[in-house]
Amino acid sequence: MLDFTEASLKKVLTRYNVALEKAMTPEEAAEEIYPKDELIYPIAKAIFEGEEDDVIEGLQAAIDAGKDPIALIDDALMVGMGVVTRLYDEGIIFLPNVMMSADAMLEGIEFCKENSETAPVTKGTVVCHVAEGDVHDIGKNIVTALLRANGYNVVDLGRDVPVDEVLKAVAENNPIMVTGTALMTTTMYAFKEVNDKLLEKGYKIPFACGGGAVNQDFVSQFALGVYGEEAADAPKIADAIIAGTTDVATLRDKFHKH
Amino acid sequence: MAAKRYTSMAYASADEMTFGVSKYPVKAGLDLEIGAGYTIPEINYAPRPEAGSSKEKLVKEYERITTDIMSRMVQVGFPAVILETEHVQQMSNNPSWGAEVAHAQKTIMEEFHDEYGIKCALRHTIGDIRENRDFLQLRGDKYSVFLEAFEECAKAGADLLSVESMGGKEVFDYAVLRNDIAGMLYAIGCLGSIDMELIWSDISAIAKKTGTVSAGDTDCAQANTAMFIGGGLLDKNLAHTLAILARAISAPRSLVAYECGAVGPGKDCGYENVIVKAITGMPMTQEGKTSTCAHSDVMGNLIMQCCDCWSNESVEYHGEFGGTTVQCWSESLAYDCALMNTALETKNDKVLRDLLMLSDRYRDPQAYVLAYDNAYRVGQAIVKDGDNIYLRAKNAAVECCNIVEEGAAGKLDLSRFEAKALADAKASLEALPDDMDKFMDDCLTKYKSEVKVFLPENYGF
Repeated sequence: MLDFTEASLKKVLTRYNVALEKAMTPEEAAEEIYPKDELIYPIAKAIFEGEEDDVIEGLQAAIDAGKDPIALIDDALMVGMGVVTRLYDEGIIFLPNVMMSADAMLEGIEFCKENSETAPVTKGTVVCHVAEGDVHDIGKNIVTALLRANGYNVVDLGRDVPVDEVLKAVAENNPIMVTGTALMTTTMYAFKEVNDKLLEKGYKIPFACGGGAVNQDFVSQFALGVYGEEAADAPKIADAIIAGTTDVATLRDKFHKH
Repeated sequence: MAAKRYTSMAYASADEMTFGVSKYPVKAGLDLEIGAGYTIPEINYAPRPEAGSSKEKLVKEYERITTDIMSRMVQVGFPAVILETEHVQQMSNNPSWGAEVAHAQKTIMEEFHDEYGIKCALRHTIGDIRENRDFLQLRGDKYSVFLEAFEECAKAGADLLSVESMGGKEVFDYAVLRNDIAGMLYAIGCLGSIDMELIWSDISAIAKKTGTVSAGDTDCAQANTAMFIGGGLLDKNLAHTLAILARAISAPRSLVAYECGAVGPGKDCGYENVIVKAITGMPMTQEGKTSTCAHSDVMGNLIMQCCDCWSNESVEYHGEFGGTTVQCWSESLAYDCALMNTALETKNDKVLRDLLMLSDRYRDPQAYVLAYDNAYRVGQAIVKDGDNIYLRAKNAAVECCNIVEEGAAGKLDLSRFEAKALADAKASLEALPDDMDKFMDDCLTKYKSEVKVFLPENYGF
């Protein structure tokens, strides 16, 4: 069988991921940025490791030591999740780590809520859905996990969502943004209907769209559309909105890559 | 029919395999013989978004697409073509829509065949509509509509019947995002295989009844999801060593179609098809560099190595400088086939096969395992325990780990991250029981509790 020499192989391809891999391991990188507080540190570390039981154990210890359960959401769980999302953004850890950490964080939030009589405050609400006629929802599931990991309240409408149901959720939840995902060319056409009905009802909120067959040109055709190429763009768009960039044209300038 | 399990390889050695030649060629459509010594372009397309608004618009769109392709094939002098229509959901949920499209397409193809003698066939890939908004509904009310869609399309002109079935996807989507190799094995290898046996027995019966070809399935819903999430070299969503494990596990799952009466050509996006061909000797469609219109991959040349039909995955129908998209992409496919056919006619097929393979062999662990010699080894691991759907999937995964480890000891460069993901996966595999019943019981308990949308009754549990 034909084969390369080491030298000839280098003339044909380069595995850039190997060539550019960071020297530090994910665990070492996380250790550098964990909070130092002895009650918070184990919670943040358990979030990073995606160990749900350890998260609860850490929270219980912090509550026993006098910490307010609701305050722990921001001061411990979100701080731990911040370590995770930062290392993900820096390319040091991969998506499954984020998903497992998000699972652990959500369990932690539920535990904090159960141990308090006040409700936590989130950064804002985002309504997420998969286009009507489309049942491919793994992309939407990643988007909702990443939004929650970044401190947003998510109203997850699921898949194959009728346009009117999206409108109803917007009316009821006053979101900062709507997201829509679709795999098929024929189902993504529903995005235009969502856009038109939002405008008809006077909602001028950004409508972030992405997924399989969806592309920037298509999303740019409707007034509220902002294209997100990666699921990880969703929390970044939301962050931009709560930082004051609500104008669709400006969001497009920032997030449209092509 | 009961599945007739494969316990041996169709080919005595990996080197016997090449493109355009299969052990069991398939006659289909209008004078076409697939895997009989020549490769065939198989063009796949999607209607424009607005075309789905009515049946009339949809039929008209497919008429334009079909005419465009057939015209271009004739204009540039290509002898054969396959058209693949992947149903949009309206066409499978309303079988009469799919049937009208098939009839309209076949009528046009017959006209070209009559006038020019061009050999051609029409594949219809029915949408897996067996679900409602909240759950997969694999054995529920929609199953009869699903089968009706196959039968109506077959009667109306479709020659090759396929589907990208979804069995196991609800557990897989959960597992793949959590590096859960046991969950991936359960989803693809066990749940997927159980569902495949049900549907392919019925689809093969329809093919027999209608005189059409039961052509095969692809694990698009799972292994391709892993490949797409894995993405390119710099993407950070899934280790490519896990993506290739999902692919290796998908081979015994896609094999089930052929154990239940399918005869090929397997569907384009089944990158596992090279393994399936090694086991069955049946012709396979593949896609690679010519499917960049739909998605990127890291083995665009390599995957051509043993194809019988060569596809573009899917392209939205619209205009380009060189004509409509279907004209441009079918022409590209057909030129690739002309090169492969020239190699076959001049007895240079194995040289070209090896050039295609080698150009991507070390690009990625996914490519490395699917190189035909390694793919053959995965096939051998599958047939070793061919009668046990769990053990053969586990064998495929373990052999995949071994192959990547051996590659990494040589010229296959792995990142530390990829190597660690592989080592973790191998350790998980080694911790699994050999007893299928125990594995199935453990997984049923675990995923019933962790995956809200998992309904065991979908699999007859």
